[in-house]
Amino acid sequence: MKKLLMAALVLVVGLAAAAGEITVWTHFGGPELEFLKTQAQRYEKATGVKVQVVEVPFNDIKQKFILGAPQGEAADLVVTVPHDWVGEMAATGVLEPVGKYATSDYLSGLMPVAVDAFSFGGRLFGLPMNAESVALIYNKDMVKTPPATWDEFLALAQKYTTGDTFGFLYDLGNPYFNYGWFKAYGGYVFGKNADGSLNPYDLGLGGEPGYKAGQFIKDLRYKYELIPEGVDYGVADGAFKDGVLAMILNGPWALGDYKKAGLNFGIAPLPAPPGGKAWGPFVGVQGVVVNAYSNNKVAAVNFAKTLVRPENQVAFNRAGGRIPVSLAALEKLGDDPVVEGFSTTIALGDPMPNIPEMGKVWSPWGNALSLIIRDAGSNVREIIDGMAAEIMKAIKGE
Amino acid sequence: MSRRGWAAFAGLLLAYLAARRGFFAGRGLRPNSFLVYGLERGDWFVALGFVLVAAALGYGLRRLLDETDGLRLALWTLGLAELAAYTWGLSLELASRVQPKPAFGAVFIPGGWRYVLAGYAVAVVTLFVYSWLVIKIGNRLSGRRRPVWPLFGQGLTHLLMWTLVILVYYPVLQVVSASFDPRNNLFSFRKVESSWLLVRAKVLPALDHVSWANYAKLVDGVVIYPWQWAVLLLAVLLLLAALLLAWLGRRGGEVYRVWHGRALFGFAATLFVLVVFLSPDQFTGVGTESKFLLWVRNTLLVSGSSGLLAIALTATAGYAFARFSFPGRYPTLLTFIFIQMFPGFLALVAIYYLLSWLDLLGTFTGLLLAYSGGIISFGSWVYKGYVESLGRSLEEAAYIDGATRWQAFTRIVLPLSAPMFVFIFLLQFVGTYSEFIMANLVLTGVDKWTVGLGLYSFTTGQFSTKWGLFAAASVLGSLPILLIFYGFQQYFVSGYTAGAVKE
Amino acid sequence: MYRHPPGLRGYVVAITLLGGALVFAFAAGSALFWVLETAAVAAGRPEGVPNWLILIASAAFLLPFLFFLARTFPFLTDWYYLLPAIVFLLVFTVYPIALTVYLAFTDYSGMRNGLPDRSTETAVVAVVGPRITLAADPVESLGCGESCVGQELELVGGGHCGRFRVVAGAGKTLTLDRAPSFEPEYAYRVNAFHFVGFKNFVFIFKNASRALWPVFVWNVVFAAFTVLSTALVGLLLGVLLNNKELKLRNLYRTLLIISWALPGVISIQMWVALLNKQFGAINRLLGLLGIYPIPWLLDPLWAKVAVLLVNLWLGFPYMMTATLGALSTIPDELYEAAKVDGASGLDAFQFITLPLLKTAFVPILLASFAFNFNNFNVIYLLTGGGPAVEGQLSTAQATDILISWAYKTAFRSEGQSAYGLGAAISLVIFVLTVGISLANFRVSGALREEGRR
Repeated sequence: MKKLLMAALVLVVGLAAAAGEITVWTHFGGPELEFLKTQAQRYEKATGVKVQVVEVPFNDIKQKFILGAPQGEAADLVVTVPHDWVGEMAATGVLEPVGKYATSDYLSGLMPVAVDAFSFGGRLFGLPMNAESVALIYNKDMVKTPPATWDEFLALAQKYTTGDTFGFLYDLGNPYFNYGWFKAYGGYVFGKNADGSLNPYDLGLGGEPGYKAGQFIKDLRYKYELIPEGVDYGVADGAFKDGVLAMILNGPWALGDYKKAGLNFGIAPLPAPPGGKAWGPFVGVQGVVVNAYSNNKVAAVNFAKTLVRPENQVAFNRAGGRIPVSLAALEKLGDDPVVEGFSTTIALGDPMPNIPEMGKVWSPWGNALSLIIRDAGSNVREIIDGMAAEIMKAIKGE
Repeated sequence: MSRRGWAAFAGLLLAYLAARRGFFAGRGLRPNSFLVYGLERGDWFVALGFVLVAAALGYGLRRLLDETDGLRLALWTLGLAELAAYTWGLSLELASRVQPKPAFGAVFIPGGWRYVLAGYAVAVVTLFVYSWLVIKIGNRLSGRRRPVWPLFGQGLTHLLMWTLVILVYYPVLQVVSASFDPRNNLFSFRKVESSWLLVRAKVLPALDHVSWANYAKLVDGVVIYPWQWAVLLLAVLLLLAALLLAWLGRRGGEVYRVWHGRALFGFAATLFVLVVFLSPDQFTGVGTESKFLLWVRNTLLVSGSSGLLAIALTATAGYAFARFSFPGRYPTLLTFIFIQMFPGFLALVAIYYLLSWLDLLGTFTGLLLAYSGGIISFGSWVYKGYVESLGRSLEEAAYIDGATRWQAFTRIVLPLSAPMFVFIFLLQFVGTYSEFIMANLVLTGVDKWTVGLGLYSFTTGQFSTKWGLFAAASVLGSLPILLIFYGFQQYFVSGYTAGAVKE
Repeated sequence: MYRHPPGLRGYVVAITLLGGALVFAFAAGSALFWVLETAAVAAGRPEGVPNWLILIASAAFLLPFLFFLARTFPFLTDWYYLLPAIVFLLVFTVYPIALTVYLAFTDYSGMRNGLPDRSTETAVVAVVGPRITLAADPVESLGCGESCVGQELELVGGGHCGRFRVVAGAGKTLTLDRAPSFEPEYAYRVNAFHFVGFKNFVFIFKNASRALWPVFVWNVVFAAFTVLSTALVGLLLGVLLNNKELKLRNLYRTLLIISWALPGVISIQMWVALLNKQFGAINRLLGLLGIYPIPWLLDPLWAKVAVLLVNLWLGFPYMMTATLGALSTIPDELYEAAKVDGASGLDAFQFITLPLLKTAFVPILLASFAFNFNNFNVIYLLTGGGPAVEGQLSTAQATDILISWAYKTAFRSEGQSAYGLGAAISLVIFVLTVGISLANFRVSGALREEGRR
């Protein structure tokens, strides 16, 4: 028994990790993962700190990180998290405030929206890397110039909505894709306090803007008859890839597949809906965050800083087509039509709220949308009112 | 039942139908069951009133029809009528939720069901004519008088079975065909030109894009060393030998059976070597999906050890429950059974902290320990039932020869328990093979994934559903489990009937 | 041989001895572990040795100890057969359950996890004994709400960290319950979780009409209908395939078993694709028959139908196999005797097959009910509990059953990681399952003879 124990001990000691190792969790795949691995090797060569890259699916990162970080079971660094998780992850104690590591030069070299997105409670919680939003992606074989007004848009979309081709499809029940319509009719998610922070008790999705946006979304299915039942993200995406869809509302993450399918596509903002102001999407910013419980914070922060350098953001865009948040990088990529198209749309949008209360909004909001579009007889006002009441109830903790 | 009974039954039913019609039509509602209507609307008066009327009728009928049990008659009548009314109302409700508009790009044939029905009618008539001719001619030739019905019945059974087989395999067909479609699309949107109606209607896959691309991606960049090929070849040969010996052994011959067992053991051993010595370094592909074989290996490792552990833990416990009668045996047995009723996987957080404290998070050991809790109670219970069915005479003979209890257990009961152990092993193996919730919590990083996790990840990516890969991985990933199922079908059947389901 | 101390006394003595042995072994194992850990740290391994060595060390002490115990108390050897199972159950089942039960009475959640809120980071500018001075107003900067007195703080500095309670505060200066032993640089407020008594259960029952009641009713309907439909189809097929005259009967049996054999994570997800309203293969097939597209997974009522149909597809092979197994135990002589007595085939079926099947089938049906009552996979993978129903909690939608409701409450974003509430729901499920099983045991008499032994 003793021998066995000693053997076990030797084995364990033998497997001991060399000092100065950091672990990185990432949801990247394909060329983007290659980019990250190359960066990790370079960093290792330069500093002697070993960087271990572990692939974790996007949907699992938040929960695994929150559960695991205090137990010492999570990575030192996550590349990347979307900024709307930041409030929750910071409040649960797992994110290191990185404001003390960031210089003002660095911060002023970023899109302001990106810094806002990663700030919570007045502290910076991550180094922003890329921004994304949904935009109108159109198949140039069917749509020569993107429609500028709603009437043009509708005419075009209806022209292509036959039994075999579609004019305009997107994930109609998903609040993330639909925020633009709410904004166009004067809605917002949370109002702002005097100091610019978000006020969770001022919900702007209900009332008149909510009714109008809800009615419009319903009309897309039942009045204009553009988006039939059963269309979800996969259907819309698949139809566009098959070349039978003229226009889709989608984000930069999908472009890789569209290129692979040999499509000739363009990117533009959506027009304002009838009776509404300009459309503008939710803007998501993705950034690198550091584990507050890490034993190697300095190395982790340094690696994070190398990743978000402007020249690396350019390289990252070349790898996966994501839109950088560094102004210098944007300038360098200025002639790329994709970057140009998306950065125009991003400029029109609002950052997704990053306070933890946002978690209480998504699911009632999504349920309300799916109730509205379920059948032609749905009562939009009642559903929107019910949604607003449920969200407020959840936020107030009743 | 007497004629008066039937008459009362019919009268009651008619009265019920009339009352229901009047009640619901008068309120402008769809016909429904009184009871459900009352409970759903919170209209307690209706619900209670219905029960009271039923009871009163029953009591009255009991007096009226002395030869039948009136109360039971009334309850049956009203119960069936309620059920029928509810089903009818529900069907109307369901039908009203279907919009009369054909699906996008679908071929819609009004009244198409009539053709299918007619087709079946023709088939039935043909079957009858065929059976009639065969039997009559046979009778004429042989001089016997066999009836037509058995053969006709068999024909009908075949018809039913083939219909069922087609229905059951239709989803499987879709997955298999999707695995050969490199476009990774869940649905096909392009118009299909084909002279086949079923293909044109996209009910059957068009198969105009057949390629192995999806499968190629699953093994992209996998490096297999020559010695591993050799071991693999050996494993396949041993499996073939085992199958051959099993076939030969059917006609008797103890030698065949012994060698069959040895060949199977050899197969398991070679497989074990392959599984254990396959390392993550051999997977050099770029995509997540190129680690698929590694996931299979991880799963075989975890599920296999978990199955073995299940046997080790349940065998002695089941034996003790079956044979010993120490004080506290019954309460302990009850505790075992009731602990199992806690929805174990909802204790995820607690298991997470436990494994974290033991430094076992992210290891296969941790996962298989977490799995082991789930089978102990059921496994012990099943094995206990099996040992009880063995009878005590052999052990008692051994005791007379001076054997200890442990010897009696290891030398007599254990060798007889092989089928049950196979069953417990399979139960745990199959149960954990595609589990993904616990695995997702315990394991981090694609190198550590199991098949279930990988399959789940293909369809739940942030914004990408890799349907083609999912289909290909499904086809490959379900092969081991299908092999096991078909290979050990008998053990499943006998395990469930002998152990769990005692008479 | 040996004799047990009789009755309750024997039980208590055995449990006490075994429990004592386990506690002793665990204590000794921990001590040995501590020695190893110290040695490892001294040998230049700051993170020490992995904690699972405690288990191995404890086992190393337990085995010889049990050996000696058996010499003094020979009757204890009976329990040794149960010991591996009991130890595993204690560690990997009972302990997690106990922790979950405890959580059910707390407000533990993702946001109240007893960890410091990093968004309250405030620099510490001066420390005098237990008094610390912060760089900003503590009430605002630490987000204390009314006052920081009574709050727990985490102080961090120089690689150390520690938890302190605020006992008094004035301006930017806070008085802690003790003086920090290191130089703190930053202070964070801790998101504490509390014991809340029955609050979670009150929430469940107060909102019963929005979650518990509809979910429970559907849960029972789901399990009952699944059992009945699979049993009917399985019985029919089993009886048909039991016909020895039928050619290909083994082929049919083997072919039809597929939906049982396929892993659920595959087959259920493929049904999701097949059941899409506009593009799914099922509705296209129905279109050929002249039936308009059915909103399988979009309409709350149709989604329930879809769940039941898919579960029928998944479950009937098991019932068919069980029927065949049960039928094969009926001896042929019975039928032959019946034939000699002049009974028709129908009579034989009614008076021999059915009664014998009934005895074999009651336990199968009850077990199947218990299994389907908590059949998480089919709900979670097919509909995710949806589609949405107006007025119900967003964690408890049209096709949610109790267990998926609990899972979504505790582990999915809809539920905001409300672990405490999720644990409370699991307790409710436990009570219901035990109730149903007790009823089952009563009906099937499975435990009756055991109790008599």
